Amino acid sequence: MRKGLIAAVLAVVASAMVVTAAVAKTSAPAASAQVAECTNVSLGFLGPLTGPAGFLGQEQLSWLKFGAQKYNKARGTKFSLVEGDTQLKAPVALTVGRKLASDKKVMAVIGGSESQAVRVTGKLFAKNALASISGSATAIDLTKGRPYKTFFRVVPNDGIQGPTVVRFVSQNLKAKNVVVIDSQDDYSLPLAKAIANGLKKRGVNVSRESVAADDTDFSSIVANVGSNVNVVVFATQVATAANTLSNQLREQGKKALVFGTDGAYSPSQYKPRNGYVSVFAPDLHFDPKAKKLIKEYNAFSKNKSFGAFGPATYEAGVVAMTAIEKACADGKATRAETTKWVRKTKIPSLFGGTLRFSRSGDPLPTKFIIYKITNGKYSPVK
Amino acid sequence: MDWEKLVQLAVNGLTLGSVYALVALGFSMVYGILKLLNLAHGDVLMVGAFIGWGMLGFLGGAQDPSVGVWLLIVLMVLAAMVGCGFLGVAIERFAYRPLRRAPRIAPLISALGVSFFIQNSVLLLYGANFRSYESFDLVDVEVGIHWGPLNVWILRVVVFAAALAMMLGLWLLVTRTKLGKAMRATAFDREAAAMMGIDVDRVIVKTFFIGSALAGAAGVLVGLIFGSINHFMGFGYGLKGFTAAVVGGIGSIPGAMLGGMLIGLAEAMSVGYIEDFTFGRLGSAFSDLVVFLILIVFMLVRPQGILGKREVKKV
Repeated sequence: MRKGLIAAVLAVVASAMVVTAAVAKTSAPAASAQVAECTNVSLGFLGPLTGPAGFLGQEQLSWLKFGAQKYNKARGTKFSLVEGDTQLKAPVALTVGRKLASDKKVMAVIGGSESQAVRVTGKLFAKNALASISGSATAIDLTKGRPYKTFFRVVPNDGIQGPTVVRFVSQNLKAKNVVVIDSQDDYSLPLAKAIANGLKKRGVNVSRESVAADDTDFSSIVANVGSNVNVVVFATQVATAANTLSNQLREQGKKALVFGTDGAYSPSQYKPRNGYVSVFAPDLHFDPKAKKLIKEYNAFSKNKSFGAFGPATYEAGVVAMTAIEKACADGKATRAETTKWVRKTKIPSLFGGTLRFSRSGDPLPTKFIIYKITNGKYSPVK
Repeated sequence: MDWEKLVQLAVNGLTLGSVYALVALGFSMVYGILKLLNLAHGDVLMVGAFIGWGMLGFLGGAQDPSVGVWLLIVLMVLAAMVGCGFLGVAIERFAYRPLRRAPRIAPLISALGVSFFIQNSVLLLYGANFRSYESFDLVDVEVGIHWGPLNVWILRVVVFAAALAMMLGLWLLVTRTKLGKAMRATAFDREAAAMMGIDVDRVIVKTFFIGSALAGAAGVLVGLIFGSINHFMGFGYGLKGFTAAVVGGIGSIPGAMLGGMLIGLAEAMSVGYIEDFTFGRLGSAFSDLVVFLILIVFMLVRPQGILGKREVKKV
């Protein structure tokens, strides 16, 4: 009995030592000091390629691939991509983040696409001096107080989205009664709270509801929506969920409009009869200057449909490749050098003007754009 | 009292409940005959939803179906029933039959393994993206019953009616046919049934086929009314279906139906009223708390369920 106990304790201690050694090995910050040959460097991609937001990650990856091919052709570089699928799950994002951080060829990461992925990988990347540039993570706390020293984003944060939605719903739509729904995740909870509080401050009656991120039925939530409710604001990362909500409102004869936050922006999946959606970057389809680029992308992707997520990630990719190229001026580069050049970014933005980063890693200057949707067709609100 | 809300929640609860009842029936049938909790049953539902989605795509999709809408729905349900029926037979043959004489924990673990196997197989085949039935394009959501506080989409009516018809069909099969008699005899005493000349293996296979076919149909019905499906949807429906079976009385067919409706209604009503009853302390996100609280209460107060019979064992 006693021998067995001793053996069990020894086994536990031995296992703990093995695990500690393994963790120490994977988290060793040696990569930051590693010098890479510039002929063989990669960009990592960290986003949801499958899962409820798979449509979003696939669009981003496709645009990133397009951007790398275009950049390589124009500048004679040989950037390749290392794909990492977060499945919209924070633990998976951390595993994938570790893999990217330990890959010596990866000089910068494009992503995480979702805020929770940034939260779990931000410190890991900073420890490895690895710059990560997101084309869609909008949570305020990702840059507030600079918790993740090597994190940057090319899109505005929810500190801008929240007030934009509040202003539009209360002033333009003149809503008196609003329901705000969150989807119980790191992205939507603070955003929904900020929108609800903002609306209350403007004298709007607000009720709060909550659904699980993978819910597909909202009919009982819809039953809670009173006939006097003008707008339902849905902070979600799943466009099909916003679509179902909108249809179930109609099914129950409710007149309320659905206002989706940026995660719902998808002309192919969120197609309400009447509704709105806010998004961090203009949809290039509405920009006459982007015609040539769209034509090139359509040829590259064989006419894959896209919204606002892809082009913003393309921009993040250009930022990273430009920085790596500058870091490679002497033929070799380190991650720290790359991060330094990302911080100094000053390039023409795809959406007009010049893209620069503030000290916190946010883009300067930016705004959220609102689209009106009528019978599934999107049009920007002036 | 907001009657519109109450009526609407009742409609939602009954629709959801009819789906849970179909799932609960599969649990009940298999448990009745093998005393086995088929934990992979929810995943069979998920496979049914994917077969229905495949059939929808094969017949032109929701935007431009090559056959009439109602025929399309019938074909989707039939394809899912046949596909899942055979899947159920395969599960029984390879995962449960070899363990029929093993301790009861062995087939339970095997069932868990089958559940993960099916889930990951679908993930491998289709990826983890949500797939859309686009049923809102198939039948406009404004087409249906609009009478006073009642607003019901026609597809919900169809789903409810189809589920009821299937439950009634199953009840008739079990109570009025030779196969049903054999199933009841096998459930009562497997060895005695075999001695009376009943081919017990064949009865078990047919039970799995029928139970899984019902789950397959439930998968399509879920896709039709809620619009989207994914590879992990089976877990939630399986869990609620199991809860319904236990609450109704596992092994009892009318009990499964009753349990399903009760759980569906409890879920819908708790979304609607939990905030009022808890003075704003709990929101709609906690509706599952009510559902599983019902399960715990039944386990403590009436473990045999509403219509189940207390098992008496000789010692």
